[in-house]
Amino acid sequence: MNLPLLKRTWRSNAFRLVVICLALAGWGSLGPIIYSQFGATFRELVESGVFPEAMTSFGGGDVFSLPGSIALGFVHPIAIILLSVFAVGFSTNAFAGERQRGTLEILLARPISRRGAYLTILVSVFGFIALALAAYLVGSVTSASLFDVIDEIDPSLLPLVWVNGLLLFGSFAAIALAASVSFDRLAPALGITLALLLVGYFFEILGSLWPDAAFLQPYSLFHYLQTRDILVGEADAFGFLLLGAVIVVSVVYALIVFPRRDIAAPS
Amino acid sequence: MDAIETAGLTKHYGHRPPPIHPPFVHPTGLVRALDDLSISVHEGEIFGFLGPNGAGKSTMIRLLLGFLHPTGGKASVFGLDIVRDSVAIRRQVGYLPGGIALYDSMTGVRLLDYLAELTGLPPVRRNELCDRLELSTRTLRRPVRDYSRGMRQKIGIVQALQHDPPLAILDEPTEGLDPLMQRAFYGILDDLKAAGRTIFFSSHVLSEVERVCDRVAIIRSGRLVALEDVAKLLDRRKRNVEMRLSGPGTPALEGVPGVSGLKVADGRATLQLEGDVGPFLRAIAGAPISDLTIEPAHLEEAFLEYYADHDPGDVEMVG
Repeated sequence: MNLPLLKRTWRSNAFRLVVICLALAGWGSLGPIIYSQFGATFRELVESGVFPEAMTSFGGGDVFSLPGSIALGFVHPIAIILLSVFAVGFSTNAFAGERQRGTLEILLARPISRRGAYLTILVSVFGFIALALAAYLVGSVTSASLFDVIDEIDPSLLPLVWVNGLLLFGSFAAIALAASVSFDRLAPALGITLALLLVGYFFEILGSLWPDAAFLQPYSLFHYLQTRDILVGEADAFGFLLLGAVIVVSVVYALIVFPRRDIAAPS
Repeated sequence: MDAIETAGLTKHYGHRPPPIHPPFVHPTGLVRALDDLSISVHEGEIFGFLGPNGAGKSTMIRLLLGFLHPTGGKASVFGLDIVRDSVAIRRQVGYLPGGIALYDSMTGVRLLDYLAELTGLPPVRRNELCDRLELSTRTLRRPVRDYSRGMRQKIGIVQALQHDPPLAILDEPTEGLDPLMQRAFYGILDDLKAAGRTIFFSSHVLSEVERVCDRVAIIRSGRLVALEDVAKLLDRRKRNVEMRLSGPGTPALEGVPGVSGLKVADGRATLQLEGDVGPFLRAIAGAPISDLTIEPAHLEEAFLEYYADHDPGDVEMVG
């Protein structure tokens, strides 16, 4: 860990972090509002048979319960995009982007080990994601309280939701950083990470909407985001362990590969 | 102890191509960026590292700083191994990369503060360097993105030297500097040398290497072709001599040590002179000469001679 690098990383991302936290807090507040105002109406519509039952669950979320609405907001593309700013964008850019621009050379010419630089960036991105996820949950809990539906969840389970989200987006960040330290250019690092995220997201959503494609879901990291299950007390420890294992493997890979690879002159 | 010592330092890129490969596969082959390089840079000297683009200058620097890992051989900086002790080496080195890239969103002063913090040493020379390179406080408060190429280069020089490192590794340091600033920079180098600092100076601007360096290494296709004192290298060069004759007859120069290529035409005599000028001056004493010009030897001629029969941009390919 390197303190000046840590400080500079936080300082240079502070504005972006505030904007994303505010956006996620706002977005997180919408789910409970929609549930409290229109949940019963939606439920009646579904029960009337207008929509097939399979269409009522989107990636493990719905609008018929408070846990479902919080889960729906979490797995919605808007939340994924906002969280990916750090988990994918910042992480892939951290080394491959700096290498491409030539600024990595200035950094690594200082008495900083490559592992130290990597761990500093890893800690920073986990911090960014942790705060962004916390903002989402704060938004959800605040609006649930304001609209008087908060008693439908057990608040003591919220930290577990936060940890689960941190593990999911942390695993994407760890993969992105592993790709970032492996390439000299941003495009391949970004491409690999985005491909993993988008294909995984497609598998999970397709499987949740179409039962015949449900076999694809376990191959997606999003499948192990268990927001609703956690809030209704049905969480599965395997999902946590698997996401943790993805992070550990990615971090170990980066810690081995980064110090050993050649860093060619900027092109 | 030498500041830098390399023994058989080698860096190859790519892979030796397989003997058989599919027709649609074009093996990249093995590029010998640096081959069996053995040099030593003494403490307190300004050492010039010369070669055209692609000769291996930057590869050598990147090996010393731990950006690249050697394929073979070994090297040390102040006795520290470049592979095992890379972080400790960088604590003692100030580095100016060629074509430096900076964090554009930061102001000059914040960038210098940040880089000093990363180095972990106080920027004891910053004010002096900024004064000499005419970087005002007002300029330093502007974002780096607004800087011209020359200003960026000045910031690059300051960040490399502000913590007064025992060894400065400078890759094309005067690139983008105007002649006045180049002169100011040479003055800074002179002061650093007087203070006992070691400078490893990579360049393809021969006149400045000749101006500032004590010794010079010339590399070609990753191989060392010359390593010598600049003064000795120049002593061995042939100087062009031109004499305007004021009367009939030619000075008797046959057999004079160091003289060659004598030509006389239209009242002018030209020749090449190598080594000590004493025998030549004694030989022309009393001869009818109205004017005499001896062009000083330049490093450029020595450099070009080493490259005369070789494409300077070529990097040797194997396989």
